[in-house]
Amino acid sequence: MAIRLYDYSLSGSCYKVRLMLGFLGLEYERVQMNFYPGRQHRSPEFREINPLGQIPVLEEDGLRLRDAQAILCHLANSHDASGEWLPRDAERFGPVMMWLMFAGGELMAASAARLHDALGYELDIEEARRKARAAFRVLDDHLTAREIAGARWIVGDTPTIADVACFPYVALAGDGGLGHEEYPALRNWMRDFRRLPRFRAMSGIPEFI
Amino acid sequence: MSVARELWTGVALDDQIQAASSNPVILDGQALAVWRGEEGPVRVWEDRCPHRGMRLSFGFVRGETLRCIYHGWTYATDGQCLAIPAHPTLAPPKTICASTYPSETRYGIVWTKLDGGSNGAALPDLGPDEGWEPVRSLFVHAAASPVLEALLNCDLGQQGPVHMVAENAAEVEIGPELRVLVAVHAMDDERTALHAVARGPRAASERAGLARRLERLRDDIERA
Amino acid sequence: MTVTTDPVALNQWVPCAWDGQIPVGGSLDTMIFGQPIHVQRTGEDSYRVAAVDGTTERELPVQVRYTCVFTTLGDTPRPLPEIAEFDEADRRITGCGNVGVNTSPYRLVENFLDMAHFAFIHTDVLGALDQTEVLAYRTEHRKEVDEIWAIDCTFYQPAASKAATGGQLTRYVYRVMSPFSVMLYKNVVTDPSRNDAICVFIQPKRETECLAYMPMAIVDEVSTVGDLIDFQQSIFLQDRVILENQRPALLPLDPTSELPTRADASSIAYRRWLKAMDIRFGILEKQAA
Ligand SMILES: N[C@@H](CCC(=O)N[C@@H](CS)C(=O)NCC(=O)O)C(=O)O
Ligand code: FES
Ligand SMILES: [Fe+2]
Repeated sequence: MAIRLYDYSLSGSCYKVRLMLGFLGLEYERVQMNFYPGRQHRSPEFREINPLGQIPVLEEDGLRLRDAQAILCHLANSHDASGEWLPRDAERFGPVMMWLMFAGGELMAASAARLHDALGYELDIEEARRKARAAFRVLDDHLTAREIAGARWIVGDTPTIADVACFPYVALAGDGGLGHEEYPALRNWMRDFRRLPRFRAMSGIPEFI
Repeated sequence: MSVARELWTGVALDDQIQAASSNPVILDGQALAVWRGEEGPVRVWEDRCPHRGMRLSFGFVRGETLRCIYHGWTYATDGQCLAIPAHPTLAPPKTICASTYPSETRYGIVWTKLDGGSNGAALPDLGPDEGWEPVRSLFVHAAASPVLEALLNCDLGQQGPVHMVAENAAEVEIGPELRVLVAVHAMDDERTALHAVARGPRAASERAGLARRLERLRDDIERA
Repeated sequence: MTVTTDPVALNQWVPCAWDGQIPVGGSLDTMIFGQPIHVQRTGEDSYRVAAVDGTTERELPVQVRYTCVFTTLGDTPRPLPEIAEFDEADRRITGCGNVGVNTSPYRLVENFLDMAHFAFIHTDVLGALDQTEVLAYRTEHRKEVDEIWAIDCTFYQPAASKAATGGQLTRYVYRVMSPFSVMLYKNVVTDPSRNDAICVFIQPKRETECLAYMPMAIVDEVSTVGDLIDFQQSIFLQDRVILENQRPALLPLDPTSELPTRADASSIAYRRWLKAMDIRFGILEKQAA
């Protein structure tokens, strides 16, 4: 039942998976990728592992999975006896999926801004920041409504993989020149998330809270 | 609208400043750290540590002290530095002090002014402090004057006229039972924050609906 | 901004690419001190760098050292430093690409010189919360090379390098080699008689926009290149959040505007040295002048 993660410390997408492995208390083997400057994820060898040339990739029992969101689903599905990280009831399952897609979709504009500012990726930075702000606002409005309803998490009364998937690129916004000033509900949600037992910070997210 | 430095400005909802948290706020281009100890009221400081300039909104709270994230210097609620971890036995000189701004929590809103003196108008008097419910804060990508104008002409549903209770705060009555107060906070030339609270027997139950209408107002202003 | 006119800044060698960043025959456009430049890789080991103003190009001097391509806009630049460790046969010589940091170059140098932040920013790696004290160390201005050194530095570290298996009292020597470059020597975990050498060379694109290059000459037979880079980059991105959130971003040289303690002796010496050389680029006070 060995788990292996193709990992890079500075990747927010890999961080989603590391967080989840940590929350579930799972041991894993880490395959260190030289993402930058080595661009090992684009090497022919790695393309055999993931033709998309992206990390993270997780292997377990002959299963090979790419895409952080898919990996979170797999981990919760296989290793979370409580069922709370990926609730199956109709009231929560759909919304969790919806925010998971948002994390892998709209929110990735914040990842693009970060890759531009920190690692010099060539892309339209103003466009990336504009899209990231629009995504942050959608989540902030949602979490404001949740605050009004007396709730703290994106879906339901406990943290789910939707929170895990959304957290990294919201928290790492500053790395892409995006401040948290305009998102009070996001700030409160992030603080609650960082105070979860077994939470681990990564570079770009201060250790102390 | 440029912010008169001696004018009290609402900069956050008290309800949204968690216990043991430090938060970044921009007022008229000035970066502020708005923080609360594990208990006690919200404080407004310059967002800059006297040591090496790190923003104190990145700091962490222990008890009623704010600690800078960079080297862990510890500040008391009056701004005085209490401890320097690099020199655990040293009593920090009195000269090491974070810059503070006056702050008042009234009607569920945290107010501050950049001019620390007692010049300028008092906070608007809207009667007793109790009974105000938070609605929400909004951040509009537009200058303060068009936002103010839109606010004066807004429709929050079956309302009376909007009237200004201060240069930067407006109140509107929605039926006899519900009053909404909106503080207008110029962040810079392009961004304006609104902090809304409501009062009356229906305030709590109407909160979600009011929040949605304010979001609509925000989106309408930005589209204009 | 326009190109700086500060002669002190102009007369420095600064990196403008890392060796290997550009494929042979390829090129990249970048900037130093506000001056757009064009960096071309003309052969395996040869580069051509030119300042670009509209349609005219002015060829600039080039050196390839310490995993970086260096150039200068000055006529009488301070020579690049000699770092002997990079010539030792058993060293692992590794660059880490470059990382963008939006602040002035001096904030980067000061952060690199600073031990007092280890416990808070590199918690459980380069420092621990129960051992935050910075013991007294010495700083000196070595006039013969015109460098600032900090010596006899020690700090307790839970995991001093990729090769570490436990905590140690690390001995450090710091060396500021120019306004835009700094390095440290720290004792090797597995062989206390030798020192790892870790450098930061800064490419100032504009006053508050930099690229940081981190060449290292490490004694470590075990770790992969990927491991070494991952360790160094993880540390650096912890610092980057701090660097981009110091206010002001330009460095104040007025000694009353920020309040140092004994632990900041190296930063004090660095600021004094910058002031004495009358550098203006990226400095706060000249704005008023
Ligand atoms: N959909 C993927 C995207 C992951 C992703 O963007 N990973 C980055 C590293 S953080 C990557 O590998 N980028 C390389 C590329 O896209 O070329 C996921 O969510 O896992
Ligand atoms: S900058 Fe705040 S403690 Fe050093
Ligand atoms: Fe550091």
